[in-house]
Amino acid sequence: MSKSSKIRVVVILAVVIALYVIPQSPLTTDNTMRIGLLIALYCTLGLMWNLMAGYTGMVSLGQQIFIGIAGYNVAVFATTFGLPFWAGMFCGAGISVLLSVALSFLLFRMKGMYFAIATWITSEALKIIFTSWEFVNMGGGMTIKLRPYPDVFELYYISLTLVIGAFLVVFFVLNSRIGLGLKAMRDDDDASAAMGVNIFRAKLLCFMISGFVTGLCGALFYINQGSIFPGPGFGISWTVAAVFIVIIGGIGTITGPIVGAIIYVFLSEFLSQYQGYSMIILGVIAIAVILGLPYGIVGTIERKFGFEVLSTRRTMKNLLSGGRANVDYSRGRDLRVSK
Amino acid sequence: MAALLRFEHVDAGYGNVRILEDLSFEAEYGQILGVIGPNGCGKTTMFNACIGHITPTSGHILFDGKDISKFSPAKRVHMGIGRTYQVPRPFENMSVFENVLVSAVHGAGHTERQGARIAEEALGITGLTEKAELIAGSLTLLDRKRLEIARALGTEPKLLLLDEVAAGLIETEIKDIMKLVADLKSKRGLTIVWIEHVIETMVGATDALMCISEGHELLIGDPRAVMDSREVEEVYLGASDEEVNAA
Ligand SMILES: Nc1ncnc2c1ncn2[C@@H]1O[C@H](COP(=O)(O)OP(=O)(O)O)[C@@H](O)[C@H]1O
Ligand SMILES: [Mg+2]
Repeated sequence: MSKSSKIRVVVILAVVIALYVIPQSPLTTDNTMRIGLLIALYCTLGLMWNLMAGYTGMVSLGQQIFIGIAGYNVAVFATTFGLPFWAGMFCGAGISVLLSVALSFLLFRMKGMYFAIATWITSEALKIIFTSWEFVNMGGGMTIKLRPYPDVFELYYISLTLVIGAFLVVFFVLNSRIGLGLKAMRDDDDASAAMGVNIFRAKLLCFMISGFVTGLCGALFYINQGSIFPGPGFGISWTVAAVFIVIIGGIGTITGPIVGAIIYVFLSEFLSQYQGYSMIILGVIAIAVILGLPYGIVGTIERKFGFEVLSTRRTMKNLLSGGRANVDYSRGRDLRVSK
Repeated sequence: MAALLRFEHVDAGYGNVRILEDLSFEAEYGQILGVIGPNGCGKTTMFNACIGHITPTSGHILFDGKDISKFSPAKRVHMGIGRTYQVPRPFENMSVFENVLVSAVHGAGHTERQGARIAEEALGITGLTEKAELIAGSLTLLDRKRLEIARALGTEPKLLLLDEVAAGLIETEIKDIMKLVADLKSKRGLTIVWIEHVIETMVGATDALMCISEGHELLIGDPRAVMDSREVEEVYLGASDEEVNAA
């Protein structure tokens, strides 16, 4: 490992340890824990939308499918069957994967906007089904009953572990051979197919991962919330949040969603006093950022300084010299040489 | 079976526009088949049909005796077809090395480590070793054309489809490319289909020559005979007359 990559690993580890240790200090309140938990979950939501839109060009407007399905799974498992929350959480995530496989025929047939709209229509259909399905109490929604109910500290730790896991998955995928193909697809999908990249398989893998992790995320959102209704559960605002977070942070960057999620959570806390206007204000902010920083905050900084916090660049030297390091962190230098 | 690539009465195009009309020809094992024809006659479209960007509406494309007409592009690459693009289409945000790595890993099915060796070799052959770590989007036209060839070689093809790799280059660069293609045939035994605008040198560099006109094979056979034929002369004269009239 080079010196700069060692420093980077140390910094990342320090931040992770801090995130686990800080809540033990007597100064943290339930409210700071709640904010931390929301940032972790929204960051996960953004990461998973980014894995699809930022790396494969699949713009999903249906992430709420996975949120709602998993939320309802938790509610049914806990309230109806008296089972622990993690049972509903993993069952919900599993069903989300199955749904993404079932929806994958859309990937075969539909490109761009058509895929986006098809995912949205699916979520609207689910909303209608759940509103008229007696088993889930129709439009009346469900309360999640758990004994003991996990407290905000417990949920924070689970969410923190989830977001770290989500980062590891994204990083692992991008560093795998499929990730190499994804980067090629992002630049030119026809040409990547002509170089042997199996586009459908790569897209399906990302869609499945996105479904699974977004499902886990949705379950935790609703355990934190305590009750679920079909309207908000399958509401487009989940995807709107994900898009906002990724665009602000920087689409196609690994670390952009962290910045995006922090901004999103603080903004929506602040805007909660302006009920009804908050969506408009978020929209205006998103447009302003897009106009000023077209690559988002992280994307713009990376371009400006030729620096990537987490890079997936392969170099000939590293791959030929053996060693485990097929990740090279020196992209910055390369970028500047080439300009 | 003598033909590695065989078109049988192929009709193909974009949407409802038919470009290839009843196109039939063969490229024999280990040979270089040159393809000429006026602008817009469907040469590049023929390559798009070979690699699977478009599917024939009727007729068949056979590779190594197998009907590949309905296969996905990736599958055709795995079987051994490698192509270049007339207007280079590098993966702009990846390095030159990564561009070739994609084809060695996904096209030829190597691990990244093995693929790195294939890529190293392909970059060496095409004279891009020095530029391996540059971002592909920053390359000049000549280097982009070289990268097209390197990337196609990275897939370890049996059949190499070259689309106007010499166009727009100066005399000495053309000589380099000619030599490279001749080496690929003699040293690696590649079968090559090579689209190029009528250049006299194509006669010496190819084993057979085909002239396409309006999506249909006009003439195919001995390069000298095809080049000197009245039909080919007329097609080109007709084309340049129109250009003169339009100007
Ligand atoms: N992607 C495309 N969509 C629609 N028409 C196309 C496309 N590519 C090429 N064409 C048309 O097909 C015809 C043949 O083009 P092409 O195969 O590129 O000719 P050439 O023989 O010069 O390579 C031209 O009329 C061109 O305008
Ligand atoms: Mg052409």
